[in-house]
Amino acid sequence: MSYLMYILLFGLVLGLVAVASNPSPYFAALGLVVVAGVGCGVLVGSGGCFLSLILFLIYLGGMLVVFAYSAAMAAEPFPEGWGSWPTLRLMVGYVVGVGFAWGLMGKFWYEEDWLGFDGVVELSVLRGDVGGVSLMYSSGGWLLIGGGWVLLLTLFVVLELTRGLSRGALRAV
Amino acid sequence: MTPAHFAFSSAFMLGLAGLAFHRTHFLSALLCLEGLMLSLFIALSLWALQFDTMNSAALPMILLAFSACEAGAGLALLVATTRTHSNSRLQSLSLLQC
Repeated sequence: MSYLMYILLFGLVLGLVAVASNPSPYFAALGLVVVAGVGCGVLVGSGGCFLSLILFLIYLGGMLVVFAYSAAMAAEPFPEGWGSWPTLRLMVGYVVGVGFAWGLMGKFWYEEDWLGFDGVVELSVLRGDVGGVSLMYSSGGWLLIGGGWVLLLTLFVVLELTRGLSRGALRAV
Repeated sequence: MTPAHFAFSSAFMLGLAGLAFHRTHFLSALLCLEGLMLSLFIALSLWALQFDTMNSAALPMILLAFSACEAGAGLALLVATTRTHSNSRLQSLSLLQC
């Protein structure tokens, strides 16, 4: 099980290397989908099933879908993948940088047990992270109302940005 | 430093480097920003899970809500840029004009 967690953590770092080397947005969105999936695996392995499900539904299924079809705005005849020379150079540079940082951390490395957080203390009806998130609705009710207000405000920000007033003659988008 | 801590810290640093050393497309920089938010979500969730402090499990949810706001604002800026400059390349944002 700890081998699986190590593989998932490797996938997390390598996936973000693939995104940070800035290929064409099609490939960067694919890399981010892979990173989100692997991150869900890391959370499930640590015992947080509900938070992993939230990540899949809201992040992958909500936000990244919007990014994927916004990538149509970056359409070009020859999209640059991970085999092109500038992207490959950046990827190798980032991997070397991560390896360098890992070498710097050598003295402080701490390999702990991957022990799940629940199941060792007490019996309960709900899993831990579900109980924690439910606090957002009870004690953190005002935070929820504030968050809803911020989301409504963002809607008006987006509408005002895309309205454009009198600037911009192109309206093909 | 535990392996998970190193993994999401280096993921955050990589996303930050990808955002800072952007190349051609605006959308690639926005995707690096989303990668930053993803690494922060994983970091906060692992904090709540591994330290057994379930009270802070609501924090990644709030982070996700606000990062959705930020992604929406970033994409609105992308649309506004495409409308005024006819493409979303970063080299066309150089004239200090709208």
